[in-house]
Amino acid sequence: MDLVLEYVVRGAHGVFFSAAGDFIWLPIAMVFIGVLLGIVIGAVPGLNGPFAMALSLPILISTFGVSNAALLPILGFLIGVMKGATVGGAVPAILFNTPGTPDAYLTTLDGYPMAKNGQAMKALKIAHFSSAAGDTFSDIVLFLTAPVLAVFIERILDLPEKSALIILSLSFMAAVSGSSAIKGLIVGVLGMLLALMGSTLSGNGPRMTFGIIALGNGLPVTSAVLGVLVISEVFMGIEQSARDRLSRVAALENPLSGDNSFGLKDIRAIMPRVCTSAVIGTIVGALPGIGTTLAATLGYESARRLSKHPQKFGTGVPEGVAATEAANSAVSGANLIPVLSLGIPGNFAAVFLILAVESVGDFTLGPSLFRFTEIKNVEGYGMIINKDLVTCFSIFTLMVLGNVFNWTIGSWFLRSLGVLARIPKSVMLPVVLLITFTAVYAQDGGFVAIWIVLVFGTVGYVLRKLNVSILPFVIGFILSPKLEELVRGAYSASGGDSFFMLKSPLALAFLMIAVAIMVLAGRRKPHRVP
Amino acid sequence: MTSSTDHRRWTPNPWDIGFGVVTLAASLVALFFWFPHDIKGGFVEINLAGRLEPGDAFFPVLLTTTMVILSVVQLLSVALTRTQQEPDTTIGKLTPANLRFLLLFYSVVLAGLAVMYWLGPLTTALLRGLGIIDQSYRELLDTAPYKYLGYVGGGFVMTAGLITWAEGKVRPRAILTVVIVLFLSLLIFGILLKNIQLPPNADF
Repeated sequence: MDLVLEYVVRGAHGVFFSAAGDFIWLPIAMVFIGVLLGIVIGAVPGLNGPFAMALSLPILISTFGVSNAALLPILGFLIGVMKGATVGGAVPAILFNTPGTPDAYLTTLDGYPMAKNGQAMKALKIAHFSSAAGDTFSDIVLFLTAPVLAVFIERILDLPEKSALIILSLSFMAAVSGSSAIKGLIVGVLGMLLALMGSTLSGNGPRMTFGIIALGNGLPVTSAVLGVLVISEVFMGIEQSARDRLSRVAALENPLSGDNSFGLKDIRAIMPRVCTSAVIGTIVGALPGIGTTLAATLGYESARRLSKHPQKFGTGVPEGVAATEAANSAVSGANLIPVLSLGIPGNFAAVFLILAVESVGDFTLGPSLFRFTEIKNVEGYGMIINKDLVTCFSIFTLMVLGNVFNWTIGSWFLRSLGVLARIPKSVMLPVVLLITFTAVYAQDGGFVAIWIVLVFGTVGYVLRKLNVSILPFVIGFILSPKLEELVRGAYSASGGDSFFMLKSPLALAFLMIAVAIMVLAGRRKPHRVP
Repeated sequence: MTSSTDHRRWTPNPWDIGFGVVTLAASLVALFFWFPHDIKGGFVEINLAGRLEPGDAFFPVLLTTTMVILSVVQLLSVALTRTQQEPDTTIGKLTPANLRFLLLFYSVVLAGLAVMYWLGPLTTALLRGLGIIDQSYRELLDTAPYKYLGYVGGGFVMTAGLITWAEGKVRPRAILTVVIVLFLSLLIFGILLKNIQLPPNADF
């Protein structure tokens, strides 16, 4: 226990003090700015946390570099954005009945009627409290379960099992996140294949480049991911705006005429729903690929069923706002459980945290992260310590800081952002396009990055139009190098056995579950991808 | 009033078939034509110790073979499962309207990028021709206002063009927003963040 505590203290110390013992403000300031920016971004219809994380990452890398010292400020900012955005999404939903994201639609069901009844401020306060509570609960679960899960995985999984686990995760994501599991898996494999362009592991020179010299170093990951995620969304949004000529949303006449107080009595009333939704959101968040929409739906539905007056839901019930916001915010912390324990991103926000970790410093995610190596000084060698574990506890500290900022300034800041929620998508999305171009150009240093963003944006647009989820594509793209390394290692270790993946009972079980998931998902009726 | 259910029919979705055919064909082309010409290492190789180890083609071939299998499954599942489909739905397919949108979108964006790339060099060439300056654009890359010309001009054309198209009218407030965003971008990327090069300057 002392050893665990020592790692925790060293991790926290790393956020506030430099190696020389001087106080450093940068990581704290970056979390603070990140939270504020996240709330702002969340409050603008059509934008969300992963958008801001995607745009910030290249700029942060260009500004801070890729040394170990840059890792905590960059991660601090991204974590702050992730946390702030979960809170900010409620603003347009409550004030203007404009859900910026699919899960925020459920906030509009009771939030907007509350605003129409003159209780806009109360609805925002409830949304903030529930969102911050759900997020904090989810973080605590992350802190407690990720190390245990990682240690467990590290003990029982070898190369074939880890490979099979990634295949299982991708199959699960394909099954739950799109209209068709098979199509989802096909684009997941396609993403993996594209990620191999320009790479080599045998020293024979870059592969799959079509002879294009610019691809010799591989496709720039950030540009490719930004293209599929952000630019395809810009395509969709501008197309919709051009079609619908959506420009303005109607403002409420007097949103503050009713009872806008929020005290202990209100907290006691909503707390049972917040707790139930926080648990639901955390469970959903721990499973890769499901996302906030299902969490919000389940949270809202459970609150309605458990309520003594379910018929009032949809007419401006505080519990409705609380349940939705607690559930969708509880997803964000739990989503990092598979990231930290397996190195597998479960949603788009996690993708950008992984990209940051892979681009900056020598920190490595995955089961080996939580190896509690005994800390000792060896003469002539130096200190023996698991530096990655210390960094991991620094990341946990940054998350706690993010929660503190969210609880303290979040509510006040949130309530002052009503004006942002009136910025139309038709103005915001072209601006996002310009900032994306600027960001990737700054990171990759040339127009090639802009062409790659546009090509991948078109791929993302076509997939969305074909009702195929882009999540497996992005996750496949990110995980491909890791899976290749594991599969090659497993094959080599088996001595060239063609059935190397099927010899381990556990790996076989994972693969069979993956097949079963695909078969079961194949029987499901197709639905529209949100 | 007729309900939409009356128009539904049980037919395979041609876009689902097309998806399977395209991915199957692309996978086969990759396996038999692309990889043999574009991957120098083999599927497996024998290393110096005489042990069998995976070559550079190992993982791409595994992935592409998986894609072949999945594409066949996709085609079989479409053939065996009759999908209830509304004939007039736009979900799950690309329509001519989508292609027209892409064409227009790319026209505006490429026009903006062309202005971004050429405005600086053309302006300096013109000023040089008139004898107002002596240096080329390359020599003025670090000098204001030349280093901002392309970014501001191209950024304005692109964002104002897209907003005007999306809204169907020119709104002074939207144009003002573009100007403010460009000003803030210059402030952040061009002045506060010293080690960032704005487009198109890294290409010269």
